[in-house]
Amino acid sequence: MATEMLGFTFEVGAASAWLIWILPFVAALIIPGIGKFSKHATGYVAVGFALMSALSAASLLPMALEAHEVHDQISWIHSISLKAGVLADPLSVIMANVVGWISFLIMIYSTGYMKGDKSITRFWFWMMFFIGSMQLIVLSDNLLQVFFGWEGVGLASYALISFWYRDKKKDHVGTEGRTVLGLLDYYSPTHAGMKAFIMTKVGDVMMIAGMLLIFLFAGTFGFRELLHDATWATTMSSQGLLVPAFILLFGGAVGKSAQFPLNEWLLEAMTGPTAVSALIHAATMVKAGVFLVMRLAPLVFALSAAGILADQFFEIILLVGATTALLLGLQGMVNSEIKKVLAYSTGSQIGYMMMVLGIAGLSQQFVNGYTAGFFHLISHAMFKASLFMAAGSLLHVVGSRFMTDMGGLRKNMKKTYAFMWAAGLGLMGAPFITTGFWSKDSIFGAIYTSGHPWAIPIFAIAVLTAVITAFYTTRMLGLVFFGSKSKHIQKMEEEGHHIHEAPLSMWVPYGILAVLTIAIGLIGLSFEGGLHELFTNYLEGTFGIHSVHEIENSILPGFLDGINPVALIASLSAFAVGTGLGYVFYIGRWADPVKFVNSNIFFSGIHKVILNRFYLNAIVYWCFVVAPLWLSRGVFRYFEKTAIEYGMNDGVQKAVGWSARVIQGTQTGVTQSYLFVFGAGLLFVVLILLI
Amino acid sequence: MEYALLQAVILPLLLSPIAYIIGRKIGPTPAMWFTFGLLLYVTVLVILSALSGTTAEHYPWTAQFGEFGFLLDGLASPFAIIIYVLSTILVLYSKPYMIHRFHEQYEEERHEVVSSNGHSTIIESSSLSNYVNAKSGLYFALYLVFAMGMLGTVLSTNLIEFYVFFEIMLIPGFFLVALWGAGPRRKIGLMFLLWTHAGAVVLLLGFLMIGLTIGSFNFADIKESEIPHDILMLSAIAISIGLGVKLAVFMFHIWLPWVHGAAPTPISALLSPAMIGIGAYGIFRLIVEFLPHTFADLSIWFHIWGLVTMIYGGAMALMQDDIKRLLAYSSISQMGYILFGIGSMSVLGLSGAEMMYITHALGKGILFMMAGILIVKVGTRNISQLGGLAGKMPITAVCAVIGALTIMGVPPTSGFMGEWTLFYGALETAIKDGSTVRAVTFGLGLVATVLTMSYILWMLKRVFFGKLPQHLEHVKEGSWYMTAPMMVLAGFTIVLGIYPDIFFNQIIPYMSGVLGV
Repeated sequence: MATEMLGFTFEVGAASAWLIWILPFVAALIIPGIGKFSKHATGYVAVGFALMSALSAASLLPMALEAHEVHDQISWIHSISLKAGVLADPLSVIMANVVGWISFLIMIYSTGYMKGDKSITRFWFWMMFFIGSMQLIVLSDNLLQVFFGWEGVGLASYALISFWYRDKKKDHVGTEGRTVLGLLDYYSPTHAGMKAFIMTKVGDVMMIAGMLLIFLFAGTFGFRELLHDATWATTMSSQGLLVPAFILLFGGAVGKSAQFPLNEWLLEAMTGPTAVSALIHAATMVKAGVFLVMRLAPLVFALSAAGILADQFFEIILLVGATTALLLGLQGMVNSEIKKVLAYSTGSQIGYMMMVLGIAGLSQQFVNGYTAGFFHLISHAMFKASLFMAAGSLLHVVGSRFMTDMGGLRKNMKKTYAFMWAAGLGLMGAPFITTGFWSKDSIFGAIYTSGHPWAIPIFAIAVLTAVITAFYTTRMLGLVFFGSKSKHIQKMEEEGHHIHEAPLSMWVPYGILAVLTIAIGLIGLSFEGGLHELFTNYLEGTFGIHSVHEIENSILPGFLDGINPVALIASLSAFAVGTGLGYVFYIGRWADPVKFVNSNIFFSGIHKVILNRFYLNAIVYWCFVVAPLWLSRGVFRYFEKTAIEYGMNDGVQKAVGWSARVIQGTQTGVTQSYLFVFGAGLLFVVLILLI
Repeated sequence: MEYALLQAVILPLLLSPIAYIIGRKIGPTPAMWFTFGLLLYVTVLVILSALSGTTAEHYPWTAQFGEFGFLLDGLASPFAIIIYVLSTILVLYSKPYMIHRFHEQYEEERHEVVSSNGHSTIIESSSLSNYVNAKSGLYFALYLVFAMGMLGTVLSTNLIEFYVFFEIMLIPGFFLVALWGAGPRRKIGLMFLLWTHAGAVVLLLGFLMIGLTIGSFNFADIKESEIPHDILMLSAIAISIGLGVKLAVFMFHIWLPWVHGAAPTPISALLSPAMIGIGAYGIFRLIVEFLPHTFADLSIWFHIWGLVTMIYGGAMALMQDDIKRLLAYSSISQMGYILFGIGSMSVLGLSGAEMMYITHALGKGILFMMAGILIVKVGTRNISQLGGLAGKMPITAVCAVIGALTIMGVPPTSGFMGEWTLFYGALETAIKDGSTVRAVTFGLGLVATVLTMSYILWMLKRVFFGKLPQHLEHVKEGSWYMTAPMMVLAGFTIVLGIYPDIFFNQIIPYMSGVLGV
């Protein structure tokens, strides 16, 4: 659709695609200026621009749902003929909508949550900067530009994690005084921000190495250019560099999405304001890794269809995803800080997405796994953002991050209670009515039917993780809303604090997302069907990936067409077992979990290992913080300060002084000694001549 | 424009006595504006010449040495522009900082007078302003000569001319450190003079070897003549060592932390990014361009030497408590990046190395200015006594973060543009040559960027974030003279990061020409 305006011809679609990410940056630029005059106004500007950005994204939806795409480029670094551009294909448009609308809701939430904060201007600046960078990742048409957004979200994440940079005690995470392997498990916001930035940077340098490798052979960073002429891949493959390059790129995704082994930063990231955790560390930024994989996977799969094998790439994704899903899920079961539980859960759920994207590339039916991964991304973004915002409300009201300081809140906060249940059911995968159920089920189905030799063990891990997920979600809900009120709350009430519902601007956003979780869940199967069809067309049209027609299974009733019965049974029973166990311990409170854990040394041992984060965090610190610092100190003391400084500098100085003194010492002024030396010298010369 | 480059080099030298007289007779502020105006004028001259493409000027000199020329080409113009832009901006910054320093020193000297005489001397109230006037006149005069020396070096077209300018910038540098430095300033000034002079002498040896062999010191003649291989190698090594001392690469770095730590901060901000990088310019011009075959043999050693310097400087920076010394070690590490890029021996790698010079000048300039503001406003340079200052000095904090991002190579600052091209160059040569050593250095180089990030972020955390100590409750933001220059550089690094063509347009064609691609 071309429109002419003021003599310029431009594509309306392309213009919206540019605007999606430019608008938030514009807002970020003007907000500090506005903040000088009115802090209050900055919030309106931020929400307004977030809305406009989301609307631009929405305007592209009709086009994307037809599986069309807009690709617009401008010249950027002319001297090496690089172009900047936007690529609005179905993948990026849907993602841009998820990001845009969830950010918009979270911005509304923030107006309530951050009310009265002294540094509110800085908050809005970084939030808008974040949204712009995130949309830049989503809409870029080349890797270099993606990297700009990539580091931009990292920077925003760093700044927002450390938002409360005064390091007050209440803003820390972890338990004060608790140590693991001799290192404190208690982090200040500024420490946490730094940790997040540096740890993700490790992934980023891998990503940049991968990018540069591809650029070296292909001469372009563009996604479409890479696809159209695949001779670079043949060359790389023949040199054995193709798979390493993509695995390095995946390294960036591992860092950003907090996957094993770069997962430890996400927990401490919870020092940021909860709105930040909801937006950056649950709904959007941590999905950037998944998005990157979704950008690259069809390309790699199309290459393997052309005979260039890259199975190891998908195998790595699969293994990393499965490990993370289980590892972080387990830790979610024992933690007592509500945001940390949600953070563990986020990492674990992203592990699911990675897992299924990996399996997609290893099976014949690429589109199944691809759709399942994206569907889960969408549904997780909704319910996890909702849960985080609700948790923020709880923190706001209760003033403590520990669930043990809550309890029995269902009467005081009815709306939050209801919405948290709805979103929580999504996370647990409550059958037939939640998006979480359908997306998880499609993941199970994709894994089970992949036909890969590892399918069964991976399937087992996936189901086990689902049980764990249902369990810790129930535990969280039980600890917060059920049972009797904690001492902390009793004390608050005695002091005259009335425990009340959060304000309207706060509960409406998470209410909307919770309702959506159920609403889309009710039509979940057809939603998934639509997504499946769209991606089938997209993958076929753009990448030439054909899907094999499946033989429908007829055991199940009509409305469950396309569902694998084994997967269905697995997800139903996972929900039942996990929720049941959770109910027994935390809602019905028929058994005391503390007694149960302490009942024998085996359970308490496992509990301790999980609570100590499998010692991974401590090991990372010992190896990459303590040891290098120790080494640097040693080199500084014993090399820089001695060999270099003393040896070269003072040494030369002393040597010169010393030799001067020696020479000076010979000038005694005593004639006898001069004559003696003269005679000795003469004798020496004569002797030499004689020999 | 005729004589544009000649003016740009000579005017600051010729007019420096006027700056002294203005300072002495009228006061620091007019002297500052005079210096600023003069440098602004010559900066504009340089920029205009650069915009009109490669500019060359030739003037007769002695028969023995050859001509006295100036050349502003794709290699020299980014260096020249950055040197003069930085020098111009730092004039403004100098005033409040140096006045603060003069006051301090006045107190010190008065104290000395009192104690040595045994009885107190009555000091008139006007003598302080006289003292400040005299000193600031001297300061700005030296400053002009210093800036001019740096520019002359990168524009010269003759080995002897290069050497002369190379030494000219040392002399005002020595006085600036010895007169107004911190700590044992005279000793450190001497150290600066002796070390860099020793380096320069080695450099001169290399020059003489080449010049006497081919019978001319002109760059143009060197480029065309055949030099016997043994002399070539020997002179290349001598030149590398001579410039290596200036670059403060590993093993020749000892003078740098002392000097940059002690120098008055505006001078540190010039020394650290602009002056030591001239060593890199020398390598580009003298080795990469004039001795390409020797360069091909040496490049792997540059590469490794650069890598070691990167890691060593970064690791030492982690251990510093004095903020200026931390930045000094960081400069060592950054010079390692440049050397690493030069060693990559590919078009983008070399271009990235030059971009790193630009970007380091901007980033480190900002960070040194930050350190100066801390020294003036807080009165300490020990990181352990700082903390939580972001709320007290927001502009400084924001600019410092941008400077830090530039050093870390995070987009959208220019640091990223330097870094990725540099590493791309390293990777390109590694793959093309199939060299395992280069592949490993590439990987380790990337690890070094994580190290860079660690020490920079840790510094920011300890200075600007965390709890505000009691004694810092009343700290105020620096004056506009100090913050505005930072903001200009901060804006520039972002513009350059998004649109690097400003310099790449000149650098990349030049590098392609030199490497014959």
